[in-house]
Amino acid sequence: MNGKHALRNGILWGLGFALMIAALYMVFIYVPTEKHTGIIQRIFYFHVPVAWVSFLAFFITFISSILYLWKRQTKWDAIACASVEVGVIFTTLVLITGPIWAKPVWGIWWTWDARLTTSLVLWLIYIAYLLVRSLATEPAKGARYSAVIGIVGFIDVPIVFLTVNMWRTQHPTTIIFEGGLTTPMLMTLLVCIAAFTVLYVLLVIQSSGLKTMEAEIRRLRIIKAE
Amino acid sequence: MNKAFTKIFTIFWKDMLTEFRTREIIISVLVFALLVLVIFSFAFGTGADMTEMTAPGILWVALTFGGIIGLTRTFAVEKENSRLEGLMLCPVDRAVIYWGKLAGSFTFMLAVAVVVTPIFLALFNLPIFLPRLALVIVLALIGFASVGTLFSALAVNTRARDIMLPILFLPVVVPVIVSAVKATVTVLAGAPWGDMLTWLQIMIAFDIIYLVAATLVFEFVVEE
Amino acid sequence: MENLGYLLAAYTVIWAVVFGYILFLQRKQRRLQRQIDALKGSIEK
Repeated sequence: MNGKHALRNGILWGLGFALMIAALYMVFIYVPTEKHTGIIQRIFYFHVPVAWVSFLAFFITFISSILYLWKRQTKWDAIACASVEVGVIFTTLVLITGPIWAKPVWGIWWTWDARLTTSLVLWLIYIAYLLVRSLATEPAKGARYSAVIGIVGFIDVPIVFLTVNMWRTQHPTTIIFEGGLTTPMLMTLLVCIAAFTVLYVLLVIQSSGLKTMEAEIRRLRIIKAE
Repeated sequence: MNKAFTKIFTIFWKDMLTEFRTREIIISVLVFALLVLVIFSFAFGTGADMTEMTAPGILWVALTFGGIIGLTRTFAVEKENSRLEGLMLCPVDRAVIYWGKLAGSFTFMLAVAVVVTPIFLALFNLPIFLPRLALVIVLALIGFASVGTLFSALAVNTRARDIMLPILFLPVVVPVIVSAVKATVTVLAGAPWGDMLTWLQIMIAFDIIYLVAATLVFEFVVEE
Repeated sequence: MENLGYLLAAYTVIWAVVFGYILFLQRKQRRLQRQIDALKGSIEK
């Protein structure tokens, strides 16, 4: 890794760390407790940014998959795959923190609401993405196949959301909490979203770097074999 | 355009001819779909109150899983006999191959549905002649075939290919399954057209989007 | 202060998973770097 990258990464890690500390401070000390649902509402400040990041991750995969099929540069494949990895981890967190929030508020772990269900379907699609990648007969094919899934899977998001919305018209989450968002709440949410977006960028840089290293190892092995 | 259509038909007809001779796919899929129908009827019961809610679900589980078996076979047969390489050597656009295979898969699924659905309706003592249900089935099967043809071409080149197709296919076709079940419920309940319009619209949108998207990306799946 | 347990559980899960992932990435990076060094060394010889 050269100096420019090291500097950029250093700045990003610093920024991410500072934002995360600020986010924690705002969530637990600065923002007042929401009146109706109580302290549990504080999950919202991390649940929503995590959901946002997982959606962003799959969108980035969609774009990089198109760019990979078009330009055939390994870096786009590395970014697409790293982004799915981070996206799947964050979707897992959405699917865990969602029920933890729902249980004390609505008395149920799971509701087939449009957002939760779409997250679940997305999670399954991108698990399949990772599986195809690891089970492809050769890495080049895996890269192409996963790019196709990255494109075709993402197109499904709006259709799934729309369908589930029609399917379950009763919709508990439209009212997140009664009072609506006050200014301190919105501020806290925005800082949390910024913190998690920076965390996402960091993780993708780190993880796509590993993909590049793996490609390098394959290249060196071929040289060695000759 | 006309030329492309002839080529598509040639590929489609090749699959049909192979199938007429071996009857490898249709029969096995048909038996499998009927078994799903029967097993699920045992599992859920067939009382009059159950029929309304669970019957459409049972039909669509049978058609979906039957469809997966059929889709797995169509490309696996090509792969086993190294016919896929031969097909790829054809001097035609990859999109033509996609549409040819798509037409074949759709026809197989439709043939299975034509047999399974009346048996299903009879088993649950429902009216046999339901033109609206036919429309639902055609729209849903186009959706299945559009996504399924793309993914089976993809899954055939992975290890564990038999399990790869359902893992890829099922989450993506969730909108089709939900819409098909909901539309079937309204048909069986004898509800007016307006009630199923939403579901038909979703399926039409899905079909168009995936036919276009799969046509565009299919070449990346089959390139060597 | 009711439901504090749920809140703690949610935040613990998030942080455990994120840190676990970062740790996993770092270990993998070290392992790959060692492999690259070893391969480069053996090629130069």
